Formats: sequence, structure tokens, C-alpha cells
Amino acid sequence: MTRALEIRHLRLRRGDREILRGVSLHADPGEVVALMGLSGSGKTTILRVIAGLETADCGEVNAGKVGMVFQFHYLFEHLSALDNVMLAPIEVQKVAVHEARQRAESLLEQLGVSHRASALPRELSGGEAQRVAIARALAVDPPLLLLDEPTASLDPARRNDLGDALATLAKSGRSLVMTSHDDEFVRDFATRVVVLANGEVVEEGDPHQVLTAPRHASTRELLQVERAGKR
Amino acid sequence: MRTFAIAAVWLVAGLASAAAQTLRWGGDAEGGAPFVEADPRDPTKLVGFDVEIAELIARKLGRTPQFLQVQFASLDQSAKRGDFDIGLSGVEDIPARRQSLAASVPYYEFREVLTVRDGDRHRFRSLADLTGRRVATLGGTIAYDLLLEAQQTHGITAVSYDDDVHPYSDLALGRVDGVVLDHVLAERAMRRRTGLFTHPDALAVGAYIIITAPENTALRDQVDHILREAMRDGTLETIFRKWHVWNDDQRRLYDRVANQTVNSGDAADVPTTAEMAARYVPSLFRAAGITLVLSIAAMALAVALGMSIAIGRVYGDPVTRLVLTVYVEVMRGTPVLLQLFVIYYGLASVIRLPAFVAALVGLGLNYAAYESEIYRSALEAVPRGQLEAARILGFTRMQALRLIRAPQAFRLALAPMTNDFVALLKDSSLVSMLTVVELTKQTQIFATNLGSWVIPGILCALLYLVMSLPLGYLARRLERRWRMPSV
Repeated sequence: MTRALEIRHLRLRRGDREILRGVSLHADPGEVVALMGLSGSGKTTILRVIAGLETADCGEVNAGKVGMVFQFHYLFEHLSALDNVMLAPIEVQKVAVHEARQRAESLLEQLGVSHRASALPRELSGGEAQRVAIARALAVDPPLLLLDEPTASLDPARRNDLGDALATLAKSGRSLVMTSHDDEFVRDFATRVVVLANGEVVEEGDPHQVLTAPRHASTRELLQVERAGKR
Repeated sequence: MRTFAIAAVWLVAGLASAAAQTLRWGGDAEGGAPFVEADPRDPTKLVGFDVEIAELIARKLGRTPQFLQVQFASLDQSAKRGDFDIGLSGVEDIPARRQSLAASVPYYEFREVLTVRDGDRHRFRSLADLTGRRVATLGGTIAYDLLLEAQQTHGITAVSYDDDVHPYSDLALGRVDGVVLDHVLAERAMRRRTGLFTHPDALAVGAYIIITAPENTALRDQVDHILREAMRDGTLETIFRKWHVWNDDQRRLYDRVANQTVNSGDAADVPTTAEMAARYVPSLFRAAGITLVLSIAAMALAVALGMSIAIGRVYGDPVTRLVLTVYVEVMRGTPVLLQLFVIYYGLASVIRLPAFVAALVGLGLNYAAYESEIYRSALEAVPRGQLEAARILGFTRMQALRLIRAPQAFRLALAPMTNDFVALLKDSSLVSMLTVVELTKQTQIFATNLGSWVIPGILCALLYLVMSLPLGYLARRLERRWRMPSV
């Protein structure tokens, strides 16, 4: 089985600050990997390096085609939901317009937002915009999907819908890597959790185990902060 | 306290008497020989026959002459406002002027004559030979009215200039095929440049007069008296002979004028305001059309060029960026009027652009600099996340620009663009300097001939509003439809 993602000894420095200090990570098809850590631990930077938006100073990144869902979605503001999903297949992959439309419509349908196909991004709720952003990322059929804080703008009911949708995607053979602050969501829907502190991986494993009985001090601190935040 | 009050009274009285002792006279010294011109040997001094006549009148009134520079086309309005006591600078005797101002007896008679290029002297003998051709003159003159008439009767195109030098230089360049002006100006032009020929026959006859504020008829009567005396005792003849403009027409004029006792020209045969309006309103509409077409075409050029400059400045290499930055700063840092002059007159020896094209190109190039700044900041205002999303989806930089960044930037640029278009609509009035008669110029001509700015001013303002308001409305609607979230 070939890995969808393999990164080794990633180092990245911004000025005086070492943001990543030798991070290694992998994701296999069917996995939902959650990156957890306090703000500034380097989780989002890892996603950006995998997506090619930033270049590491040293280390190795092996990933094929990547899709990404940003925390603030970044849907193309001048296009309708449907056009957002169709644009890359038509312009980048040169798919025929009617085919791209069919596929986009079916993706929006699967994600439960087909009724919003003609809406502009500014007319969508946070949850709707997120699902359109997932559809847009999936439209070019990437084996690896990155999600930055996918639960940040969702209420609890929507959170479970999203989790189910992610589980379905993983079952179809994709790899998912997401960052999250939400330990309950990670426990319920991730297959593996990777805890980061100060640009290093400090703990890794089954979410139930890691989050119920953390072994590393940073993980315990993280859970304390997250739970304090929720109260 | 009391001493102070007395001192103040003395001061005011002193100033008042000083004002009474000077005779302020208005004229236009720009290209004004042999009327009024800065002395080539000592530019602080004025010379010309009108200068000597003003000095003569001041001397006879026991006052000191003091010159006030006034644009030729503004002399009437300036006289009405009381900027000067008397105005003379080749001011023509026309009914509208006599109606709105106090005007003296005529002191010099001129003939309107046709000047053509030497090679055309047999082909173009009269206005009737110039059908379909452009014929130039000075705006707001009898000659201009003559050409407007010939526009109807002979199908010529009348071209109005703001000065009396460029009609002849453009004739030599081939931009126009004839010039109609008074023989004094024609003879001067012939002396200055070769290759021109003036037909001797008069197309019309006119005369120069001195103007004063309408209520100042007492001064006007004094001026009349002095002029008549100078006609009888030969003083005027001496002055005109000195400037080589004396001829037998003047002797006949003086015989006629010097023996009259009243100023006969007052309010004779003046068309009514309604007649004048009816005559000028159609040309006002035509001029508004020119303003609109010119503005739209110049804006289209500015938008196309401005977008290219903005893209070059955001995406280009350092050399391209430097060149474009210099262009933008030069265009924004120098007056558009100067740029128009350089394009029309300055480049005439290299490329002879027709006036309308020069106006369009000049305004377009200037506004392109402003538009480029709008597009550049709009391009930079498109959130980085939009471009990152595009990059991950596999769009190239140019695809991202074409499909995502530019369309979003265009929506952001729409409001400032609309402002600029309205500004351009108004700035287009500057091109009257290049002989394009657009709305403001036509209004000025209308007002000069009518002797009032009220009706022409209101009509002109309404026409500008009719052109700019719907645009603002359209822009607001589009903006609402395309409203961008504030990210």
C-alpha cells in the first residue's frame, strides 16, 4: 500500500523563530489524522508546507495531488457555489463543461448543499461555505485532503454531520489530515492523533488512548487549556 | 484714538485718490502684436497701437495708465465686473457687446480676410471653395460667426482657437485648409511665416472699439470725445502709421465717426436673447455629444492601458516595474494641459495628430496613470487566501489573475473608476485648447456672443449633469450587485 503522505525531518525557520524542528509524519489511505497542539505549535504551518504554500528549510515531503479546506474557506467571492466547484476541473483539468457541472452537482448533493448551488459565498452560512469548500477541493479528485480547523465555525449538530462526511471520504480510500482544537471531535472521528508542541511531535497514537491517558506533559497542558476554553 | 481715526481717514482718502489717478486698462498681451505685446527688447514694457491709444486716453484724462492682463475671451466679463476702467485689445464691435457693455465709437476698421497655403491660392479663393474643409479662426469673434454661417451655407467645418497664432501654424502644417481673421492679424502672420497667401477681398468688415463697464457711460463718453479729437488732429493716424496698419479705410471711418455727435452704435439691430438661444442650443447639444464621445473613448483607452500598467507593476520584473512607476509618476505629477500641448503642438513635427485624436490620446494617457493606481491597489486588496486557494487547485499565476484576481479587483475598482470617469467628463473641457469645441468651449462662445453667462451656464451645467448622473446611478447598482465582503 502506497502512502498518501510521508514527511520526514521537516525544519522551518522564520527569522529568529524555529517553527518546525524536525517533524516527521505520514498518512495512509483511509486514515483521518488529527494534528493537535497549542497555538504556535506549528500545526497550520505543516498543512501549508504539505500544500506547497510554504517551503521548508530542510526535510522531505512526499505527497501527490493535495486538496485543502481553509479555516476561512476562501471560496472565490465573485462566483456562485457551483461555479466555485466547477472552475478548476474546467480550467486546470480541461474537463468538458457539462461533465464538470454534473460532477460538481453530485458533489454538492453528497455534501448536502445542492440547494445552495447558485448562492454567492457571502450568502452562505459558515457550515454551508465549508461544505462547498470541501466540494471544491474534491472536484479535482485529490487522494489527500487537508482541513485547517474544520470545526471552528460549526455548532455541535453540524460538527457531527461534518464528522460523518469526513468518515465517508476516508472509507472511500482518501487520506485526511486536519488540525483541530476540539478533542471531542478528534476522539469521535479521527483514526490517529499527532500532538505537537514547539514545532515537534511529542505524542502520537490512537485518539482514545492519547486523549484519555496522555503520557506527555504538553498533551496534558493542551487538554487542560482546551477544556478550560470550552467551559 | 482720535489721532488714529484721522490717520485712517487720510489713508483711505489717499488710496482712493491714487486709484482715481490711475487708469486701469485691460488687454491680452499673449501673442498680441501689433495690438498689445511685451516689448521684445524689454519684456517688462508693453508695446502696440492699443498700448499707445490707452496711454493717449490716460494722458488726456490726467491719469496714469496701468495694464491688467486679461484673457481675450474674458475681456467682456472682466469689464462687466469692473476689473478695469477701459478694455482694448482688438475688441470687435458686435451688437451683443454694445448691448451688455458701454462701448466707444469704432477707432479702427478691419477687413476679414481668407488666408490659405500658397499652393492652394488658386484652388481656395473663397469660403465656397472650402466645402468639406476645416477653416480656423479665433473663437468669439465676428470671423467665427462668419464661419458658423459658412458651415450652414458652404458645408465647411469651423475650427475655433483660443489665440491668433496657432490657426496660422496649423494652416502651414495642413491641419486646417484656411484661416479667416482680420487683415491686421493676417498681415502679421504673413510676415512671420512663408508659404501662406492672403486673398485681398474682404469677407466682411468690422471695427475695433473700447469697452467699459455698462454703468460707466460717463467714462465712455469721455473716451469717445478723446477718440474723435485724435481722429481730427491726426494723433490716431500717427499711431497707426507707426505700426504699419494705416490705410484709406481709416480715413473714411474717421470722416464718418468724427462728425457724429452721439455714440450711434448703441443697441442697434440686436438679436433677442431667445433668437440667440435658438441659434446656439443645437450647437450646445452637438458639443455635449463631442464631450461624451471623447470622454468614453479616452476612458476606454485609460482603462485598457491602466490595467496593463497595473498588471505590469504587480507581476513584472524590476525593470518593467521601474519604467511603469516612472510613467505613472510623470503623468500624475505634471499638468494634463501641458501633456495635451506637447502631444498636439510639441509632437506636430514628428506626428501630426488630428485635434480630436490628440485630445483622446492625451486624456487617455493621463487618466491611464490614475486608473493604473486604482487597479494596482485593487489587485493588492484581493485577499491572499483567494490566490492560495487557486494555487492549491492547480491554477497557474496567469490563470489565477485572469479568472480570480482580476475579476474581484475590477469590482473593487468600480467605485473609484466611476469617480474618475465623471472627473474625465469635466477635464475634457481642457481639450478646447486643442481647438476641439466641446461643451464648455461652446458654452463660452455662446456666453460671449450673448453677453451673459446665465442661460448658457445653466444649460451647460444641466447637460453635464445629464451625462454624469445616470453613470453614478449605474455604478451604484452594479456595486450593490457585486458587493464584496470586507475581509
